[in-house]
Amino acid sequence: MRTGDERLVVAARDVSGAPELLRMEEVTKRFGRLVADDAVTFDVRAGEIHALLGENGAGKSTLMKILYGLQQPDDGRILIDGRQVEIGSPHEAVSLGIGMVHQHFMLVPTLTAIENVVLGMPTDRPPLLDLRDARKRLVELAERYRLAIAPDVPVWQMSVGAQQRLEILKALYRSARLLVLDEPTAVLAPQEADQLFKIMRHLASEGRGIVFISHKLAEVKAVSDRVTVLRHGRVTGQLPTADASASELATMMVGREVKLGRTAPPMAGGDPVLELEAVSCQTDRETAGLRGVTLTVRAGEIVGIAGVDGNGQSEMVECIAGLRSLTAGRLTIKGEVLQGALRNPALLGLIPEDRYSQGLVGDFSVAENLVLKAYSRPPFTERGFLRWGRINGHARAQIEAFDIRTPGPLAKARSLSGGNQQKVIVARETQEQPALLVASQPTRGLDVGAVENVLTLIRRQRDRGAAVLFISTELSELFALSDRVVVFHNGEIMGEVPPDPALLGQVGEMMMGRSLASIRSEAGSAA
Amino acid sequence: MRAPILVPIRAAVRPIAYRAIVPLVSIAAALAVSAVIIVIVGASPLEAYGAMLRGAVGGIGSLATTAVRATPLLLTGLAVALSFRAGIFNIGAEGQLYAGAALSAAVALLPLDLPAIVHVPLTLAAGFLGGALWALVPGWLRAYRGVSEVVTTLMLNFVGIQLVAYLVDPIDGPMGERGASYAQSQVIAESAELPILIRGTSLHAGLLIGLGLAVGLFVLIKYTPLGFRLRMLGGNPVAARFAGLSEKREILVVMLLSGGIAGLAGAAEVMGLRHRLYDRFSPGYGYDGIAVALLAGSNPLAVILSATFFGGLRAGANAMQQSTGIETSVVLIIQALTILFVILGPLRGWARARAARSSESVEASASAV
Amino acid sequence: MPFDPAFIVDWGSASLRLAAPLVLAAIGGVYAERSGVFNIGIEGMMLIGAFTAVAVSYYLAGVDIAIAAALAAITAMLAGGATALVHAYLSITRGVDQIISGAAINILALGLTNTLYRAVWGEVGRERVAGFPEVRIPVLADIPIVGPILFDQSVVVFAAFVLPIVAAFVLFRTTWGLNIRAAGDFPAAVDTAGLSVEKTRYAAVLFSGLMAGLAGAALALGAVRYFTPGMTAGRGFIVLGAIVFGRWNPMLAAVACLLFGAADAFQLRAQALDLGLPYQFFVMLPYLLAVLAIAGAIGRTRAPQQLGIPYRREAT
Repeated sequence: MRTGDERLVVAARDVSGAPELLRMEEVTKRFGRLVADDAVTFDVRAGEIHALLGENGAGKSTLMKILYGLQQPDDGRILIDGRQVEIGSPHEAVSLGIGMVHQHFMLVPTLTAIENVVLGMPTDRPPLLDLRDARKRLVELAERYRLAIAPDVPVWQMSVGAQQRLEILKALYRSARLLVLDEPTAVLAPQEADQLFKIMRHLASEGRGIVFISHKLAEVKAVSDRVTVLRHGRVTGQLPTADASASELATMMVGREVKLGRTAPPMAGGDPVLELEAVSCQTDRETAGLRGVTLTVRAGEIVGIAGVDGNGQSEMVECIAGLRSLTAGRLTIKGEVLQGALRNPALLGLIPEDRYSQGLVGDFSVAENLVLKAYSRPPFTERGFLRWGRINGHARAQIEAFDIRTPGPLAKARSLSGGNQQKVIVARETQEQPALLVASQPTRGLDVGAVENVLTLIRRQRDRGAAVLFISTELSELFALSDRVVVFHNGEIMGEVPPDPALLGQVGEMMMGRSLASIRSEAGSAA
Repeated sequence: MRAPILVPIRAAVRPIAYRAIVPLVSIAAALAVSAVIIVIVGASPLEAYGAMLRGAVGGIGSLATTAVRATPLLLTGLAVALSFRAGIFNIGAEGQLYAGAALSAAVALLPLDLPAIVHVPLTLAAGFLGGALWALVPGWLRAYRGVSEVVTTLMLNFVGIQLVAYLVDPIDGPMGERGASYAQSQVIAESAELPILIRGTSLHAGLLIGLGLAVGLFVLIKYTPLGFRLRMLGGNPVAARFAGLSEKREILVVMLLSGGIAGLAGAAEVMGLRHRLYDRFSPGYGYDGIAVALLAGSNPLAVILSATFFGGLRAGANAMQQSTGIETSVVLIIQALTILFVILGPLRGWARARAARSSESVEASASAV
Repeated sequence: MPFDPAFIVDWGSASLRLAAPLVLAAIGGVYAERSGVFNIGIEGMMLIGAFTAVAVSYYLAGVDIAIAAALAAITAMLAGGATALVHAYLSITRGVDQIISGAAINILALGLTNTLYRAVWGEVGRERVAGFPEVRIPVLADIPIVGPILFDQSVVVFAAFVLPIVAAFVLFRTTWGLNIRAAGDFPAAVDTAGLSVEKTRYAAVLFSGLMAGLAGAALALGAVRYFTPGMTAGRGFIVLGAIVFGRWNPMLAAVACLLFGAADAFQLRAQALDLGLPYQFFVMLPYLLAVLAIAGAIGRTRAPQQLGIPYRREAT
């Protein structure tokens, strides 16, 4: 997301004359009572980049899963090159020339790049696996489209960007004429995304059709020829990209005016609560996770951490929580070096990255989840025994205070919606008014209403004096909420800026690995 | 208008009744399929099951036999159920019970002149300790090295059996009775014996220990912080870590507790039933504990019922063999089929949905009161 | 002194003979685990294979030994395979806990074989049946010490030499092997590549059952040539240890099995020799070795990522 001047403007093309590659007509898909896609009509022409825009849960991924044969539609039809087809499996989709680059890569970590590419493909002398010809062809494709790849490296050793290139190559190897990219920029920094857009243009210019799924307005504006907007499974708009303004598209996406502005000017903080001094640690794969990070978060301020996912943010959160050991430096909360910060809810509240697998026990009731940390203390435990009456009563109070939609405190946590699950976690973690609140991707996978709820709750914590560390990949949220924005890259801090929208470009460059100092000195010498 | 006192009772019983459906249907299905097998080998299922029933519950003697057979299953079932609740697979109960039997026999054979009131608890404690020690290595490996406890406990089962075989070897075993025709230890001191509950039978106080433990574990799991932690671990170990739980310590604690209870099963057999340590005295109680725990849904109170069922099968099997000549191994078939049906979960979805709805109405009526 | 040539030949020969069934079962187990399914029921499948082989051999008394042996082996494999299909159905299609499913199968196998054993032989007692033919390779078998050990053996031992190599080749150099490895590590990739995770896993588990059945036949007909209730006596579990020891590689697992076979053979002979240690310690040895191996092995190679976890395509 950047300002207009710096955006890579790829001239949108008028594709109305080109032959129609794909047409999905009145496609409907239901899961029980939930209508994921409601009579969606959508077409892609040769040489076109068609964006599918919508929030999380709008129905974009489901539609594409239908196209790729992973799901079957309840209604509607699909036409390829004007002929109606039934796509019963990914195999059939591939034979029709449809290629899919999934949001979560479909790569086997222990196999090499070339092995992943040939998985499922017919070989010359079955069942023997002769990789020589395949390797040659892969390298040719890689060179032609400038998708650098090392064929014999196991996937788990490859960087995220390289893995995505491999995903694309897999589709090209199968001679895909229609390429679907599902949220490809989720794992890329803005400048890497530009690279990707250039590649997409190249592929489209050879007559392919490209479907670009995204929820990022700016990117859709930057690269697509036409855009179809989905909301709650329905098409709310379909038009050439050039004809739509960002705010029009946003309105079509969410149904009302979207305000990404701040509610209050940035605040300065009080006493330091969280202090990292030259902290280093390792990742699970024994590579460097943090390299000499120095950071202070003060009471009454929100420090936003920007950065592409996987650059040390998760490791930092784990170090703060005491789940990961430091290999160097000092980490103190309220002046003390602590091992079991997680066990002291008055000190640290943690909203984890993955709310279901890290923040809740799905089989536990809402009431049990609300006391997941406090269960062994009075009033919930007295004289060695749990007091269920008090636990359930407390839950009822929290359910009301936080407006958690649930049949009751005894309902299992897994039956709640994502937004309500997050509310349970926030309620639990802020219960004892912790001095430090760490919120790690708290709005991931939530719809706009839930996002607003969570952000408001976080703001409220800051207002009562907590020090808040807010980690997010959504720059718009970071800028709307934070008092200071710190940028991570490769386990180091590249720089810090105030939340001024004009500085988005610098933030983007820092996310790519340039330090603020070098950006400024370049700007200074250019001036 | 229902009598107000009945409403909470009925509401509390209903969800339990629904949860019993799957085990009951599974047992019925297992019996049905086994009947077919009995026919194939040329016998009459009616005769077979009739003899089994008589052998299991047809009179005080039969009931006592059932209870005797159920006692070790109750203990190993509790041991395994406890581990299941925490998400751990303790399939090493067999080795742990041998280790517990060995250590308790050692204490029971000591030539000290102790009154029973001291000797019995001491011997029991030794049994618990033996089982816990046997679970220590696999438990430590799982807790601190992430090594799956499945294969390690399995291997140690065989080591445990051989250890006891060595200890009671008639030629050079330290506890072995010299000159005996079977590998066994000397008789244990009378002060270390568990008293007989019903005169004329072999029903011993081990049953009471098992029952007490079942109630104790039920309370532990549902009403104590330790139980909460165990369930958290079994429900979502990652979230448990993020909630500040020391996963390593909890896993070790569970394995030690589970091993200790299995050790008690071995001790009870030595102290209550046989009064000696025998080579291969267990026909697989440790493995049966898995079936018992499974049928009971890992609920300690239900383990009592489940152990009684399997104990009855064993008691009935002997009687069946004696009167009809049908092999006791048929019981193994019934047991295996029961497990298979339980895990297939006939009618489980239906029962679970009805149970959930009725427990919600429990809450509704409770809050309405 | 136990180190004179006669002892070595005897011990070495017995080691291979005892290791052979383990190797056969281990190969199958590796495939199943590589595809993501834990087959703890190998013990039961071996037992069923052993019983079936002996029963078939018994009923084919008088038929040419090679044909009888082949038929016995084939039916044993089919019996093991059928059992494996039950495990596969429960684990793959129904997504049931694989350890419990396997454990139940073991109990079922014990109960079935014991019951049928009585039904077939009843009070007749143990009769020896014709076993697998022995083969002696001329010239090579005359090499001192090594010759008799390696080249004058039962057919199954030769199979146990060759099959691990074939199995490794198939696993690492064919599309089938690639699919299996992918299914155990990241089944979603297999699914989106247009292959069936279920079919791949079914095939691997079925193969493990066929091999376990063959292993049982080898156990019964390769050496003793009769059936005893419960004769597998935990060998199927040792195989699980060998699989981990061998890092889920068929050839390394075979080496581990050889080690265990040697320990087993030694234990049987230790009773006759007076070595100062009770023979029970030598019986324990393979199992202790397995635990040590597992404890030491972890950290270097990880198990197939999805081992024990059923695959479900995500709904939305």
